[in-house]
This record gives sequence, C-alpha cells and structure tokens, in this order.
Amino acid sequence: MKPFRAGEQRIPPPPQQMSDVAIMRFEHIFEVDPKLMTEHVHQQHFPNWDTQRIAASRLDHLEWMHRHWATVVVSGEELLDD
Amino acid sequence: MSAVATPGALDDRALEELAQVLGAEHLITSKPARMHRARVPAPFPVHRWADHLPDAVVLPGSTEEVAEVVRIANRFRIPVVPRAGGTGLTDGAVPLRHGILLDLKRLDQIHEIDLENRTCTVGAGVNMLKLNEILGKHGLIYPDDPASYPCSLVGGRIGTSGWSLIGSRYGHTRDLVLSFVHVLPTGDIVRFGDGGGAKISKSSTGYTLKPLFMGHQGTLGVATEATLKLYPKPEAELSPFWAFEDYDSAHRTLRELVRADCATFAGAVIFDEHKVAYLRRDDEAYIPQPENVRALICAVLYGNEDEVRPGGRRLMRIARENGAHYLGDEISQGDWAARHDRYATPLHGRTKAGQVVPMSWHCEDAAINWTELPAVRREWHAIVARLRNRSDVFDDWGMFAYTSTRTGVDYLTEIDVGIWEQELDDETWAMWVQAKRDIAAVAVAHDGSISACHGACREGEVDLVPEELGGAYDVMKTIKRTLDPLNVMNPGKYGLDGSFEEDHK
Repeated sequence: MKPFRAGEQRIPPPPQQMSDVAIMRFEHIFEVDPKLMTEHVHQQHFPNWDTQRIAASRLDHLEWMHRHWATVVVSGEELLDD
Repeated sequence: MSAVATPGALDDRALEELAQVLGAEHLITSKPARMHRARVPAPFPVHRWADHLPDAVVLPGSTEEVAEVVRIANRFRIPVVPRAGGTGLTDGAVPLRHGILLDLKRLDQIHEIDLENRTCTVGAGVNMLKLNEILGKHGLIYPDDPASYPCSLVGGRIGTSGWSLIGSRYGHTRDLVLSFVHVLPTGDIVRFGDGGGAKISKSSTGYTLKPLFMGHQGTLGVATEATLKLYPKPEAELSPFWAFEDYDSAHRTLRELVRADCATFAGAVIFDEHKVAYLRRDDEAYIPQPENVRALICAVLYGNEDEVRPGGRRLMRIARENGAHYLGDEISQGDWAARHDRYATPLHGRTKAGQVVPMSWHCEDAAINWTELPAVRREWHAIVARLRNRSDVFDDWGMFAYTSTRTGVDYLTEIDVGIWEQELDDETWAMWVQAKRDIAAVAVAHDGSISACHGACREGEVDLVPEELGGAYDVMKTIKRTLDPLNVMNPGKYGLDGSFEEDHK
C-alpha cells in the first residue's frame, strides 16, 4: 500500500482535454476548463482526496434517491436485448 | 384606520397581541430573520431586497394560532403572507406590502397514517421527502415529486397547486391532496375536500370547492393541515434516456412513446439542442456525447416489476423504431435520480466570451399542447437570444417539456434562463420583466397557459393573466373581494389590488 503523503494531495493529475470547455483529471470527474474561470469566478484548489470525496458523495446521493423511490432499478440495457 | 390592509399597519399594539397568541419566542422582528424570508430562489435585484421585507415573522404551532394571527391582521389591517418552504418561483411567498410573514414550518407533525385506507394527515410544514422516509417503512409513498422535492413543503404545494415530475402516473398535488384544513382570510377555519369527509376522493355533494383553494398563492387564506392519498411504494423504476440528431425527430418520438399508453408510464421529458448544449458545458453525462446528439428524451416508469419490464420493452422498441439511441444505464439512472433535486444544482452561466459567471436560475413554465411545442420553442429562444445580445446578465440554458398527463395532451414547457443576479440593475431588470411579458404572450397566443407549475403572479407575466383568463379573471376578483374584504391575504398578488381601488381612495 502506498503511504499517504499530504503534500501529494495538493498536486492534481495532469488534465486531459475532454471538449472545448471541459477537462478531466480523475476518471469520470470532469471540470470546467480553467481558462474559462479567470475573470469573474476562479477555480478553487481542492486536495485530490476531497475532489474524489465530493464525486463519490454525489454518487451515494443518487443511489440513495433510487432506493428512496423504488426497491429495484430496472436496467434499460437488459431490455434492449429482448 | 385604512379600509383595507396597508403597509406600516403593524404597530406595537398588534405586536403585543401577536406575542400573546404565539409566545414571544415565535414572533421575530430581527432583520436577519426577516431578510431570510424576503425572497425565493427566483432572481431579483439585490439592491431591491428591502422592497419585500416583512415587518415581522410569526411561527404559529397550530391551526388555531394561524387563525388568530389572521384575525389580528384583520383588526389592524395588516397584510399577511403565508410561506412554507419558500421554494416557489413566482414570488407567491414574497411580501409585496410588507406586514406579517406567516412561516408554516412549525406545523410539521404527522398526525395520522391510516394504513387501511392508505391516507395520511400531516401539517402544512411537512416535507415530502421526510414524509416518505416514514411512509416507506410501511411500504407506502406520497408521490408528489417536484424538482424541489427535498426542500418544499406540503402547504406550499397546496398554495401553488403544484406540478409533479411523475404526475402522469400518480396525478399532481390537486389529485393527491384529498382534503385540507384551511384558514380563510377572515380567520374562520374550514375543511375543503370532496364532500365533507376528510378522506373522500370523489363526491358530488355541494360545490366542488377544493380546487379554488389550491393555487391561489396565499391570496385566499392558508392551508394548515392536509389529508393525503398514498400509493404502494413502487417495486421498480425504469428511466431510459435516448439521444436524437434533431429536435423534430425527438418531438415525433415523444408522441409515439406517450401513445403507447403503458400503465406504468409516469412521465416523459424532451430536451432541446440548447439544453443539450448547456449540459455539455459541465455535466459529466453529456460532455462525452458525440456532436450529433442534439435532443434527448427520458421516459420514466414506476410500478410492479412485472409490469415495468414489459412496458419498458415496448418503449425501448418504439424508441428504436424512431431512430433513438439509448444512452446507457449509467447516464439514464444517474440523470433521473438527479431530477428529484434540482435545487441542489450549483449554477453558473457564461458570458458571451465564454467566461464562467455565478448565475441564478429562472424558469418559465407554460402549459403547452404537443402540437405547439416546436413553435413556442422557436419563439421563446428568440426572446432570450435578444436579451443575451443586449447583456451578459442573461444566458439561455435551454428548454425541456414534460408530460403533464398520460394522454400527452399538454406539457409543462420550460425555458431555463440564467441570470447574473449581482449585476442585475434597474435597466436589466426592466429588460427581464419585458421578456417575461413576451414569453407569457407567446404561451397565451398558442392557446396555452402561462404557468403549469409555479403560478403566474410574478412581475411581467402577471400582466398577461387577465388576457389568458378573460372573464374568469373578473370572477377571480369578485371571489377575492368577497372572501377577503379587507385585502389582508397576500395583497398585491395577481393584480387583485384592482378589486379594492375604491377602498384605497
């Protein structure tokens, strides 16, 4: 297991350009391209773990909402094959 | 003393009487508490917040206390504005004449859950999500599902006659509320439902009054307790999202999906290319989509699993035959789950140069027939494009349209406009109010209704209400004057002050 180093958390992975206006640093976590956030709103700096925590929390919330509304979520992909 | 309620009527004597009824701790006059309740999420110029400041906030704990507050207001001619969650987008809960802000949040009790008749009776300050957490333990659900589901309250849903995302399956607030206890503008307490029983869904005894006391935006009193219709919590949910290369194909497919008439069909929504373009800015589901994705449809089914699956197969087949591309389970399930909670979405727009700016969200929400959707869409985008050309304060966030009912006759048709609230000055506010008039006029010209969901009493749109309703608007004024002779309840809303012109003179 790689030891936790607080300093490393402050260095985000290099960005991958996903579109004209969005980048990705962590898999499936997109960010507005920082070049669009230079005048009125500036990007905040998050430790890497916090970025991932926020994204994971969002997924937890969506999963909770599914369970709140129904017992089972039916897969559309399964129905496509029928 | 004035013949009708007027600003500035709340004096020390009235405050003393309110404190005697409520207890001093439930009468608040501090500026933060009043500022906090001076507005709703819809954008408004920051420098004019004081225009909507109540003079005092009261937090009654029972129907009797609400009634007593209204009686005191009548004696002293003080305006009263009821407020539940304060999530409305047409300023229903915003005081236009100051006065007493009647905050309903302490009416948060669940009085009864009747498992035999499948009803529950709750205070007007109960939130649907919290209620459903409790009902879920009994295998039941109260399926009133606005975009403000986690933060709006039952009383506000009655006051606005709210619209539900899954209303095509379960009905909207007016269908789901069986009856409610209501404090009239005079302070009298009555129950409105179908007939006299609290749990009756259909009666022919007397006038059908319940709908009259829903959607009045607090101008005809305030509901304090409601008896609600409950359903079994669904076994299964299915929410496929499909992509299309153009709006017209999606629009035609929408009709075919609705005409399939699946029993578990709970709703369908179409997104236009402006909405897709907006989502491509920062939504992880849509940034990676190919450029030929220019319109979307989502259909939603709820019910027993052995009914949802065959219905879903049928809709999948219809979508495929109409050229749709399924977006996959991850996007479909994730995006639908997020639709129950749009108020948690962080909002930012773009200047014309593409820079990110903080914006608030405003949405117009007309009721439009399926045949008129393409024309209304074109005309509304043209109005917002003119606004944006004139100022970076405005941003077009696209349109969607949801089925209001299972037959697909009409759609909650929404254009979302980002507004840079901190930069909203008198000039840009005037531009926006005129745009709201223009947007409402398009809805009326296409034989629609200005609002399917929020109400139509905000500055701009409200000017078109007499045109939309014709002679029915005169009946509204007559009812208002009859039931609220001192114009105590939410004065200024819906232009109903016009009923009291002689009194003001």
